[in-house]
Amino acid sequence: MALEDFRADALRCTRCTYCRWIPFDHVKSARFARGCPSIEYGKFHAYTAGGRYVTALSLMDGRSQVTDKVRDSVFQCNMCGLCDVSCKICRYDMEPLSAMRELRFTLVQQGHEVPQAKPVIEGLRKQHNMLRKPAAERGQWAADLRVKNLATEPAKYAFHAGCRYSFDGDLGHVARTSIRILQKAGLDVGILGARESCCGGRAFNMGYRDEMEARASQNLRAWRTAGIETVVTPCSDCYHAFKRIYPPETGVELKVVHMVELIAELVKNGRLRFSRSVPMRVTYHDPCKLGRQGEAYVPWNGKEKKIFGQAVAYDPPRPRYSGAFGVYELPRDVLRAIPGIELVEMERIREYAWCCGAGGGVYESYPEFAQMTANDRLEEAEATGADALVSACPWCERNFTDATAGNGSKLQVLDIVTLAGRALELEEEN
Amino acid sequence: MEIPREAYQAIEDIVGKDNLTDDPALLDSYAFQWLAELVRPNRSHYMPRPWAVVMPITTEEVQAVTKVCNKYKIGIKPISTGWYHWAAPLKDDVPTLQFDMRRMNRIIEIDEKNRYAVVEAGVIVAQLQAEVMRRGLNVNIIGAGCSTSIVASACAYFGSGPSTYYMGHNSDNLLGQEWVAPSGEIVRAGSLSSDCGWFCGEGPGPSVRGVLRGHMGSRGGLGVFTKCAIKLAPWEGPPLLEPQGPPPAYRLPIHENFRVYTIGTPNWDAWADTYYEIYDNGIGYIFHRQFNLAGADLAAALWLTYLDPKGTMNDVEKATQDPAVQAITERARISFQLILQGRSRADIELQDKILDAILQKTGAFKVERFCEQDFAEFTNMYLQRLGHKHCNFIWVGGYMGSWMQGGTPDFAKQYAPIAIAGFYRDQKSHKLVECGGDALMGAGSTLTGGGYFGLEQFVSYDPADNDSIDACVKHMEDAIADCKQHNLPLGKEHHYLSIGWTDEEIWEGLAKMPQQFVLRFQSKIKEAFDPNSLGDRNYPTIPEGWAPSHR
Repeated sequence: MALEDFRADALRCTRCTYCRWIPFDHVKSARFARGCPSIEYGKFHAYTAGGRYVTALSLMDGRSQVTDKVRDSVFQCNMCGLCDVSCKICRYDMEPLSAMRELRFTLVQQGHEVPQAKPVIEGLRKQHNMLRKPAAERGQWAADLRVKNLATEPAKYAFHAGCRYSFDGDLGHVARTSIRILQKAGLDVGILGARESCCGGRAFNMGYRDEMEARASQNLRAWRTAGIETVVTPCSDCYHAFKRIYPPETGVELKVVHMVELIAELVKNGRLRFSRSVPMRVTYHDPCKLGRQGEAYVPWNGKEKKIFGQAVAYDPPRPRYSGAFGVYELPRDVLRAIPGIELVEMERIREYAWCCGAGGGVYESYPEFAQMTANDRLEEAEATGADALVSACPWCERNFTDATAGNGSKLQVLDIVTLAGRALELEEEN
Repeated sequence: MEIPREAYQAIEDIVGKDNLTDDPALLDSYAFQWLAELVRPNRSHYMPRPWAVVMPITTEEVQAVTKVCNKYKIGIKPISTGWYHWAAPLKDDVPTLQFDMRRMNRIIEIDEKNRYAVVEAGVIVAQLQAEVMRRGLNVNIIGAGCSTSIVASACAYFGSGPSTYYMGHNSDNLLGQEWVAPSGEIVRAGSLSSDCGWFCGEGPGPSVRGVLRGHMGSRGGLGVFTKCAIKLAPWEGPPLLEPQGPPPAYRLPIHENFRVYTIGTPNWDAWADTYYEIYDNGIGYIFHRQFNLAGADLAAALWLTYLDPKGTMNDVEKATQDPAVQAITERARISFQLILQGRSRADIELQDKILDAILQKTGAFKVERFCEQDFAEFTNMYLQRLGHKHCNFIWVGGYMGSWMQGGTPDFAKQYAPIAIAGFYRDQKSHKLVECGGDALMGAGSTLTGGGYFGLEQFVSYDPADNDSIDACVKHMEDAIADCKQHNLPLGKEHHYLSIGWTDEEIWEGLAKMPQQFVLRFQSKIKEAFDPNSLGDRNYPTIPEGWAPSHR
């Protein structure tokens, strides 16, 4: 695709502003009706999906040039996809999230990169991770675990820890607990260790398509060599990359599961049994990449056609990613299955969840914006009376943890794997 | 006209640099407006680009910025949520400052006992409705839906919707008002003008409420409305709407105090009679001809597909071939949606009996498939929150409403066949969505008191296809010709097209208005509140000394 391919979408945008809000049917209060962190930060209409359609048109038609303000309006967005869900409540012919991504690709190709992103991407190119850490240290999180090294031993499951769990000292325990859970369930699992590479998903969403392809190529080659059947990851960003980005970009469809899906399945089929009570009131934050962006990939290669004279349809029918079929219930099933846990819901959940703030390169490039977004979610979580905000993505957890440190919130920020580990008496405390 | 840089700096000093922009690409996101391509040269999707966009956060900031505009003769145009080409500046050669009101987003007060709320211009209806429902109250939602600003719809535009039948038109619901006139004066009107609070729409002297809005409102042409109080209505449903199911067709379980129906009628006479009977018997909470926006030929296929979260437009096409769907299409051809609200189970049961008696009398009937639980719950959600109004654009992204003359149901039933025939004729170009000649959608009782109806023809065209845009414009011109031929007042298409006309063309039209004193009165108002003529012609006047050409 190229930006020009989204011209018709842009011309068909009606500036309705639905992309700013959660689907209106779900508005439960004035305070938490807002759905788009970007416009809450950037204020002007250009900071919405609809506004970015206009920016794309304006640039394509030579009505304007890329200035620093334009660049910020494009990249000060978490790429959380709430706009995509809200738009598609009423539209079958729009793909705002894809269009915004294409606008980013175009700006990056033209050299309009965000200065703060450059060292991160340079680190990715050289060290194959998003945290600018030495590639050789990637597998150290598992140094004291007895787990297969896929470079030398075959296994059915490849456990992909991802950059954040691999290098973030505060979060590495989640990866280790994950391995213990998989082993307790008797699964044949291995890791690539230092040969694991960043999934490339974050770079892709930051506008760096080539860098994603390079990382995908390395991972796919390694898994192919190891002969693995399934990739399992506790990281929602990686999950999304493998499930939704790799197939159309590389032509390779993997069998990929998120840790929480696997735990839910293992509990359901009796291979795991939560034995210890974890008395705690928790609320669950749906990661964007596991939730509304976590729907199954459906191959499609078609074109627009007109029916009823001018209505838009597709030949063959185009898959509809509306957020309806993301991974929402399984994490909740896991939480509900843990003795002692009381699950309370926030106002904005499932396909209309508020973003954690870390996505789309915002954590790396615009930390103040990332914190603003996280603080909004923490306030919403606190309103439930929960003791802990639980998620299933290390980027959410990192950003929320940073925010609690900054705003004095007493909420605990936990990964769902941590709670499962506690209930299985496997958790390794950080 | 070149505006000196010091003007920009003066405004920046008031609101801060983060709340003002003149970046061309950012300005284009305000110039790009729905319907622009119907009226702008070369089918451009852009209205005139604002000189700058400002985001004030207080009334005092609005006032201070307005004073700068007066000093430097900068045009003024507010936008809240913005959904129409007339929300943008109207002239390329008049530097205009667009006031984006979204930072003024506070609900200032909800007076539960006296049933009103005070809000700023950036508050949308969905936000207020969610808050007042917790208190057993509700708010009228205009036809454009819950994404719209309450202040804009109450102070500056028409103000009717499905709930108007019960809750009243916003010309009545508007209570105290706060307005920064183009002169820079803060006008506090209604009871507010006597320092008596927000509770009443009228204050001492002539009706300022009438000055600032009248029937159609000034649509941004007369300064910036910053706050208003709005009347609230009783709500006997749950304090929290808790929709069920996946998108897009969220379903709202029907509370025991409510009934949700789609009512079909055998002909337009029965349709009007049924309306009158329902109104006269004092039942009904929401009355709307909603789903026909998709066109009577396609509505059943579309909405039944819409219920399926995996459904696509291709499935709509398939559904039209299904004999069962075809039967529903015919059954629902002349239909409307009705929601009843009772204050108790006994009350709602009584209303149900009354409705059944009315249907028996008029020959109307419940459209069975649309009254089944899944569709009724979807209807309930759709109409109680009115959060799917972007479905107006569902076919291809372009929709233009023609007709919509307000009148009694008997009047509406007379023009419906003319509007239907004209739309069938224009669909033969194959450049409009062929949804059937009857895509007439509208609210029952668009003004308080019943007996007032408007039906708007939903014309869907492809904004990415100039031939389709041309076909839409031709339909608009045809609709005007149809109205003239049948001695009917002109409809919405006329309003839309006039945005693209020259001043002289506008004045020529105004000069033919039957009540010329209105324009003289408005000229005096403009003189008083907008001495430097910074508002635009959405507030219509004829300049002194101008004479029609008698062409």
